[in-house]
Amino acid sequence: MLDQHASKTHDTAMSFLRKLNSLPVLWILLSLPGLFMVRGYWVGDIIAMDLLHPTGEFSARFMIIALFTTPFSVIFGNRPWVGWFLKRRRTFGLAAFGYGVLHLVFYIIDMEALKPILAEFWAPGIWTGWAALLLFVPLAITSNDASMRRLKRGWKRLQRLVYFAALLTLAHWLLIHDGVGGALAHFVPLALLELWRIIIIYRQRNNKTAQHETLQTP
Amino acid sequence: MKYSVIAAASAAVLATAGLSAPAFATGKMSCEAGPQSGWKTRAELEANLVEQGWKIKKSKVDGGCYEVYGTTPEGDRVEAYFHPVSLEKLLVSRRGKVLFRKP
Repeated sequence: MLDQHASKTHDTAMSFLRKLNSLPVLWILLSLPGLFMVRGYWVGDIIAMDLLHPTGEFSARFMIIALFTTPFSVIFGNRPWVGWFLKRRRTFGLAAFGYGVLHLVFYIIDMEALKPILAEFWAPGIWTGWAALLLFVPLAITSNDASMRRLKRGWKRLQRLVYFAALLTLAHWLLIHDGVGGALAHFVPLALLELWRIIIIYRQRNNKTAQHETLQTP
Repeated sequence: MKYSVIAAASAAVLATAGLSAPAFATGKMSCEAGPQSGWKTRAELEANLVEQGWKIKKSKVDGGCYEVYGTTPEGDRVEAYFHPVSLEKLLVSRRGKVLFRKP
C-alpha cells in the first residue's frame, strides 16, 4: 500500500517536472522579462529610452544561447543536455527576434518622429542595429517546420545568416553603448565556443585526410 | 573535459567582470566644477533649456558635468553636456557624431 502510494507521488512529481520542462513553460519564462518591461513602461515607472538597453540585451542574450547549440553538439556530442538545447533552439531564436522587435518599438517611441530617426540612420552604431534586425526577419519567418520542409537544404543556408546578424549585433552594441564590458561578457563565451568548434572540425578533417592517405599507400 | 572546465571558468570570469563593472564616467566630457554645493541645480538647467525650445528626456551627472538627453530646438535628437556651475553648453553629439563643441 505504502509502496504504491510512494510510486504514485513519484509519478506526480515526475509529470510535474516534465510539464515544467516543456516548451510552453519556456515560452512563458522567456517572455517574463519583456512583460515586466512593458508593464513598467505602461505604468510610467520607466521611460522608453531606458528600456532600449534591457530589450537589446535580452535579444542578444537569447540569440547567443540559440547559437551555443551547434558548438555544444560539435564539442560534446550527442548528450542529453545538448539535445535539450537543440529542442529549444528555435524558441530561443524566436525570443531573440521578439526582444529585437520590442527594442525597435521602444526606439521609435523614444525618438518620437521619423525625422530624427532618419537623421541618425547612417551613424555606425545605428545602421548596424537596423541591419541585424532586418536579417532576423527571414530567419524568424522561416522558423517553423513547414518552412524547413519547403526550403529543404536552402533552409540551413538561409539560417546561417544568423552569423552575420550576430556580428552586426556585436558591432551595434560596441558602437552605441558606453563601455564594452557588457557586450564582451556576452560575446566572448560565444567566440570561444565557436573557435573550439572550428578547431575540432579542422582536426577531424585532417584525421580523415591522413587516414585516406594511409589507405591509399600500397 | 579539462578544456571544458577552463572554458567554463573563463566564461564565468568574463561574465563577472562585465556585469560587475561599476557605473563609470563615460569620458566623453569632464568638468572641473568644484564641490556640488556650488553647482546650479539640474532643474534650473532643464528649465532654461525648455525655455529655449529643447525637449528633455532625461538628465544626469557624467564626468562632473550635467548630461542631458533630448531634442534641440532645431529638432536634433542629441546628448549634450553642460557645465554645472555656469550651465554653459560644452558638447552636443548625436550617436557619437559631434554637432557642437565649445570652442
